[in-house]
Amino acid sequence: MRGNATTSLLRRLLYSLITIVGVAALVFVLLRMVPGNPVATLLGERADAETVERISSSLGLDKPLPVQFADYVLGALSGDFGESFTLGKPVVDLIGPAFMNTLRLAIAAALVAWVVGIACGLFAATHKGALVDRLFMGISLLGVSLPVFMVAMLLQYVFARYLHWLPVAGISDWTGYVLPAIALGWGSAGSVARLVRSSVIEELQQDYIDTARAKGRTKRQVLVLHALRNAMLPVITLMAMQFSGLLSGAFITETVFSINGIGRLSVQAITGRDIPLLQGTTLLIAFVIVMGNLVADLLYGISDPRVRKGV
Amino acid sequence: MLNSTLEVSHLCTSFFTDRGEVKAVDDVSLRVDKGQVVGIVGESGCGKSMVARSVMGLVKKPGKIVGGSIVLNGQELTSLDDKELCEVRGRDVSMVFQEPMTSLNPTMRVGRQVQEVVAIHEQVSKEQARQRTLEILSAVGIPEVEARYDAYPHELSGGLRQRVMIAMAMIMRPSLLIADEPTTALDATVEAQIIALLKRLAHTGTSVLIISHNLGVIAQLADYVYVMYAGRIVEKADVCELFDNPLHPYTHGLLGAVSSLRSQSKVLQTIPGVVPNLANLPAGCSFAPRCDRCMAACDSVRPELVTVGAGHELCCHLTKGVDVL
Repeated sequence: MRGNATTSLLRRLLYSLITIVGVAALVFVLLRMVPGNPVATLLGERADAETVERISSSLGLDKPLPVQFADYVLGALSGDFGESFTLGKPVVDLIGPAFMNTLRLAIAAALVAWVVGIACGLFAATHKGALVDRLFMGISLLGVSLPVFMVAMLLQYVFARYLHWLPVAGISDWTGYVLPAIALGWGSAGSVARLVRSSVIEELQQDYIDTARAKGRTKRQVLVLHALRNAMLPVITLMAMQFSGLLSGAFITETVFSINGIGRLSVQAITGRDIPLLQGTTLLIAFVIVMGNLVADLLYGISDPRVRKGV
Repeated sequence: MLNSTLEVSHLCTSFFTDRGEVKAVDDVSLRVDKGQVVGIVGESGCGKSMVARSVMGLVKKPGKIVGGSIVLNGQELTSLDDKELCEVRGRDVSMVFQEPMTSLNPTMRVGRQVQEVVAIHEQVSKEQARQRTLEILSAVGIPEVEARYDAYPHELSGGLRQRVMIAMAMIMRPSLLIADEPTTALDATVEAQIIALLKRLAHTGTSVLIISHNLGVIAQLADYVYVMYAGRIVEKADVCELFDNPLHPYTHGLLGAVSSLRSQSKVLQTIPGVVPNLANLPAGCSFAPRCDRCMAACDSVRPELVTVGAGHELCCHLTKGVDVL
């Protein structure tokens, strides 16, 4: 049994690794297939062909693709992801601090999403069909369907410009995270609330709930001690996947709120044709998503004894 | 000292649906004496499980007890609120459900699920509660209790799971155990084991109310039997009397539908038709549309329970004739 679990964990790790290498290769090739010369973009319209060639060669862009890829992978393994064309710094040094900013934002957004989502979902489930239930579900539908940038700008208008409670954009202290976290977590809160609600309602209809009631548990105890844990199983998976989504999907939020995170860095890299930087950020995002899925699977296995055995 | 453990009088439990009131239990009275095993038999949908749920105070919305009284050990249950009922449930009256596969919490170790009952009703140390759990688990015939204590429900067979359910129901030594179709989901050999176990429990002084559509189970376990049809009691008698001298055409039908090694006819009888829609019952006897001995009175006048012998009551117009069957 234990041996099985270890093998299966190793197998999953291997699959994850293959996925990441695949993404790296794909990104590498795609970025070089895009029409237009990055060096020409870098140097501007007035650069002569000779200079472009010289610089291309110094950047290693004139070598055959497989050689370039091998160089890249070898460098990446020793922690060297190249140097940004536009910013002139090692990609690692640019990505590091940006990732920390994004991580802080994602944690704040996840807190908003999960606390609000679970609380609303639970409340709606225990008051099924009542006005609050319909109100919460209506709001959560709005949460799922409103685009992030709209929520972001609404929040900026109301809380920053109109009420002056919070800064409009930028991070100087923790208050700077409040609005972006809500904007980014809002949609996730909606889907968590909906899943918690349906999952709790489904659990409360199971036979073992009757058994627990027949033992002498009150309704509230049955909810907290029996139904909630089982209802949270699918929610845990959703949350783990959401977290990687929040980490990698903050492009718009970071742009609207001027946060120097991975998303904003990627956007800069795209507009500047900064191949090494874009490779770095894309690879990081791929890594985060693959890990998020892996963690989601593992968490599900750990929390459900029926799955644990055969992981 | 009281002689009866449970006394249900004129119990009415209704469901209030869009199509009107559905009388799932209609004026049912029954009594379970100390140490007695009482059976309720009837087809699916005749209201037998609803009697059990009413006694447990676990009728789900939109259902509601609308009348009658339920007295357990001299205590009226229908006037208690949920908090007071929670003290009674599990301690004085407990229940074993039909489906052992789904009646246990899938993500909780079975030992903890049994132990939980003690924790709810008594202030004892964890070690004591665990010890009592192990004792009751071995008392219901679970082998290797120490290992099974930590097992999850999906790791146990159906029979073992039902034993766990019975252990859970018995750990507080309740005065009444309600078993709602306890063997229906099990195969025949396991069924026999569970019946033997319930029989043993009944000998220790616990009163048992057993609900089944299976007359074989009832015959093996019960001392006294109630036959239910469309929410009402149509016949009640001592178990031997009922099997020797069944009077209601419905009871006849049920007996005819049981296979027996001794029965002469090779083909099992069936009762034509289905249990009527409880929201729209016939004006007279609810069994009349399916009854092969239906008379004019049956369609218009509802029969009442009448004593026809020692401890034998019948709810049928046929009682009026001397030549009953």
